[in-house]
Amino acid sequence: MEKVPLLKIKDGKKYFYRFTLNQRVQHIILAWSVVTLVLTGMPLKFHDTSWAPYLYALFGGIKAAPVVHKVAGSVLLLLFIFHVIYLAYIIWKQQMLPLKKAGELTFGSILKVLVTQPLVPNLKDAKDIRDLLKYLLFFTNKRPEGDKFTWKEKFDYWAPFWGMVIIGLSGLVLWNKELATQIIPGEAINFSLIAHSDEALLAALFLFIWHWYNVHFSMSVFPMGTVFITGYLPEELMVEEHYEYYVQVMKEAGLEHEILPPHGAHAEKSHEGRQAL
Amino acid sequence: MKEFASRITAFLSMPIFSFAVLILFSTPLFAADIGNCLLCHKYPGISRVNENGQLKLFYVNEDIYNNSVHAKIKCEGCHTDIKKIPHDPAAKVDCLVECHIVEPSTEKKFSHNDANLFLSKSVHSTTDDKGNKKQFAEDMPTCKDCHDNPLYRPLSFFKKVRYGISDASLGRCRVCHKKDEFIYRFYNHITTRLHKSRNPLNIAEVCARCHDDPQVIARHNLSTKAVFSYGETFHGKAASFLDERVPDCLDCHVNRGESVHQMLSHENQKASTHEANRGTICSNIDCHPGASPKLATYKVHAEFNLDQSPVQYYFTLFFIVLTGGTLLPLMGIIFLDCLRKFFPDAEIKRRK
Repeated sequence: MEKVPLLKIKDGKKYFYRFTLNQRVQHIILAWSVVTLVLTGMPLKFHDTSWAPYLYALFGGIKAAPVVHKVAGSVLLLLFIFHVIYLAYIIWKQQMLPLKKAGELTFGSILKVLVTQPLVPNLKDAKDIRDLLKYLLFFTNKRPEGDKFTWKEKFDYWAPFWGMVIIGLSGLVLWNKELATQIIPGEAINFSLIAHSDEALLAALFLFIWHWYNVHFSMSVFPMGTVFITGYLPEELMVEEHYEYYVQVMKEAGLEHEILPPHGAHAEKSHEGRQAL
Repeated sequence: MKEFASRITAFLSMPIFSFAVLILFSTPLFAADIGNCLLCHKYPGISRVNENGQLKLFYVNEDIYNNSVHAKIKCEGCHTDIKKIPHDPAAKVDCLVECHIVEPSTEKKFSHNDANLFLSKSVHSTTDDKGNKKQFAEDMPTCKDCHDNPLYRPLSFFKKVRYGISDASLGRCRVCHKKDEFIYRFYNHITTRLHKSRNPLNIAEVCARCHDDPQVIARHNLSTKAVFSYGETFHGKAASFLDERVPDCLDCHVNRGESVHQMLSHENQKASTHEANRGTICSNIDCHPGASPKLATYKVHAEFNLDQSPVQYYFTLFFIVLTGGTLLPLMGIIFLDCLRKFFPDAEIKRRK
């Protein structure tokens, strides 16, 4: 991985490193292909609506839009394959290889490496969800103190991951139906069509409502989050969502005295939190 | 032919010079209004309220008629009961009458009776195999249920396929055929029959008149709202975007090379849609060449319906539940998050 500072100070404001350039490029390609796929797929799913012909016409109508859809789908599938290889390579190079060199590469140690990956859900996530609900329902004023990746980000990662397997496989079957039905029965195309379009609707709604709310439309971020471009998250958002990790990075940077209290909105009432640190 | 037709022979009143030019060089399409029917029927408002209280319009648009398949047929050719003007209420047109046109290959008077013979042996016949009248025979289509005298949609074949008349092709016709009126008429006749006069969406709409009617479906114990379920497939969706390349009802339900009037029940062993023959529908050279017969086990007419296709129903239901189960809690969190940000310092415990 690139050697970059985890904390950068610009114009007196602190920014925290979140995503490598490689990851950001992957995300941009993912976003472009997903939006294109949704725009060229949904008019077909909702073909009998008033807006469908107009949206479809923007992509060349029935003659061209399916081609655009297949190009974007191919890009997404290639990205998915690249991502899995990239992930495997990173884990191998950074965690498995040192273990191998030390002669400690056993089934148990491999399993431990895999389940402790930063994006693998764990008990803290369950606890954070419980604490978030307590906070959202006004039972407490204390937000859960998120780690480097919160349960929301893990959800945002694994939902498209699962979606891409389902939509990708069913899409390949629909695309290559002549080849696919050499092996599988024709009725599988019915199921592929249902899975492809219904899972795609779920994915689109999930991304455009939940993901975009969290990263762009939430009052803390509005009008637009920039971390997906710059790779750096501003301090106030770091405090709000990743407090545990924030404190850890600040301490590592030797800035203990500048650590903000966990709640930006009512910081003055939470001084005990700051003093405790 | 249900419409009154033709136009006043205006050219008779034209100067002699124009008349000569018209005949010699470019005679346009014109119908023979020998009975002078357009004397009255040229007026757009001509109409009558019939015994059932319905307003019936009797206007004949001359331009449209002259470009229709029946442009060469005079009004009396179909409206055989009209002998004098003004006439009594006209009887319904019988499409099976012999008209004045002579069929060139047999030199016999032309009639649509052959189409009717095919129809009488098809799934749409009013009698069963033993000649007994079917139950609800009145639901079976007659000529005019499907044919509404469509306009010509001729193909042009010069360099690329497009709508309209190809001047380049006409040039080749003129080598042998001298009369332009004849050339235009036969060019239209031939090219129209090279493809369907309706696009797949129009054809599906014609079939839907009966096959999506819940009462007809119930009376004849049909398994699906056929055009609705077709509309849920890629073929149907593409047809709704006016794609001409996708199959419509007729492409699968009629044996290749046969008339659409010969459509058979899927229970008939000779039918293209019979279980044993379905594989060849999909794998034909124009559609999915090389496809395995398994492709034809795709359920074209599956509906989101527990009785008709339970497995598809539950599979779809799973995704509906998954979507609702995922999104509703998350949207709840978004709502609470918005609310919480308006009241960052409110806490239930503190108020106690």
